[in-house]
Amino acid sequence: MQPATSHTAAQALDPRVLDAAAAWLVRLHDSAATDADRRACERWRQSDPAHARAWARAEALVHKLGGLPPGLALPVLGRPVRAARRAAIAKTAALLALGPSLWLGWRATDAQGWLADHRTATGEQRALRLPDGTRVTLNTASALDLRFDAAQRLLWLRTGEMLVETAPDPAATPRPLRVATREGVVQALGTRFTVRQDDGRTRIAVLKGAVRIRPTQGGEAMVLDAGRQTRFGAQRIDVPVPVDAAGTAWTRGMLLADGMRLADVAAELARYRPGLLRCDPAVAELRVSGAFPATDTDRALGMLVSTYRVDAVTRLRGHWVTLVARSDG
Amino acid sequence: MPAESAPHSQVHALYTDHHGWLQSWLRKKLGNTFDAADLAQDTFVRLLAGQHPPTIAQPRAYLTRIAQNLLANWCQRQALERAYLQALAAMPEALAPSPEQRLLILQTLHEVDAMLDALKPQARRAFLLSQIDGLKYEDIARELGVSLVTVKRYMQQGFRGCLALMTD
Repeated sequence: MQPATSHTAAQALDPRVLDAAAAWLVRLHDSAATDADRRACERWRQSDPAHARAWARAEALVHKLGGLPPGLALPVLGRPVRAARRAAIAKTAALLALGPSLWLGWRATDAQGWLADHRTATGEQRALRLPDGTRVTLNTASALDLRFDAAQRLLWLRTGEMLVETAPDPAATPRPLRVATREGVVQALGTRFTVRQDDGRTRIAVLKGAVRIRPTQGGEAMVLDAGRQTRFGAQRIDVPVPVDAAGTAWTRGMLLADGMRLADVAAELARYRPGLLRCDPAVAELRVSGAFPATDTDRALGMLVSTYRVDAVTRLRGHWVTLVARSDG
Repeated sequence: MPAESAPHSQVHALYTDHHGWLQSWLRKKLGNTFDAADLAQDTFVRLLAGQHPPTIAQPRAYLTRIAQNLLANWCQRQALERAYLQALAAMPEALAPSPEQRLLILQTLHEVDAMLDALKPQARRAFLLSQIDGLKYEDIARELGVSLVTVKRYMQQGFRGCLALMTD
């Protein structure tokens, strides 16, 4: 059906339609809202192009509000945080997610305030193809936000690790492809590279092509060529070293150790394993070598136990694992 | 400037006669020369862009009225930005947004702040409790000591005010 009237962006919406849209928002946010309410709202939205337009605004508004991290928005806009009660948002979000159309805005439930566009669970890896053809492999427990506009293709690695294989930009005017982490921005120069967000540091390894690294708080930008890897903080970039196979083994689901401390192996495996995985200080310095299946941590732990003089003590049905010195012998 | 319109020539005259005075008036209010210069400039821009009577009987009173509005708005934005910086500083580093996001969030906060400007404090609080904090209407009613109907009225006012300022 063609709309009876066409709207231009400049045309103002009838105040009564805005009243109605606001009333629907009030109703759907009510914890007593039902499926019938959502269906009624959907019928209202479809019944008139002006309604659809007002509802598009309503969704954009919810998106805007939901994108604000509570920890920042509450003190600024008026009151202190109540983290414990934020869980209630998740419930409303679930309710609305089933609703008339997409409620992309419900991001406040995320620990960072920004539920990412793409994210993987602990132990999960996922391959993505971005709108421009760029391929991204997200490693375990990672979150990625995409902001593509006329000026750039921006990939925000919120947390975790990813492999990026860039494609030429199909846009008429090619836009730079950039990866932002907490410590800075990396611009791809036709390339294949991995980025990892660590605590206060970003790790980057270039497999093909090159990237330009620009830390947030100044310092010179630096070009990192293929076959080199480095780490950087907000203020400086470490001296690059040759790429080591261990750093990219995750893209094949593996964790490579070559004389690695058991504590470090445990910390790496812990990234792929829900719950807690720790290492007793008594065996932390034990040197471990081998190729372990990162995406099957039970098997990896089994390999460690069968090869080295350690035991894996599990509690809470495997949710809490401690590597300890083996008690026999 | 041969083809200057009458209001423009009037603004020109006002500028010549009172700009220095206005700037020092603002400097006393702000305690800062740079911001005072900016706001004085903004005042004349506002004067050029807006409607004003053909003859201005009391130029300094007229100018200060415009400047006062700008100043109030400016102070509100400054207060918001100060609160934002404090909130950022108080945040654990691991949770803090990236530099790009900081700016985006600040812009959104300015927008939302303007949208909620018309709300009475209690209504604003109810709206934020719901939309930022995720409280249920029942809990908001208990928290504010008002009825459920009142909370819904506040929510309606909040959403309506925001929707009016949203663009397509």
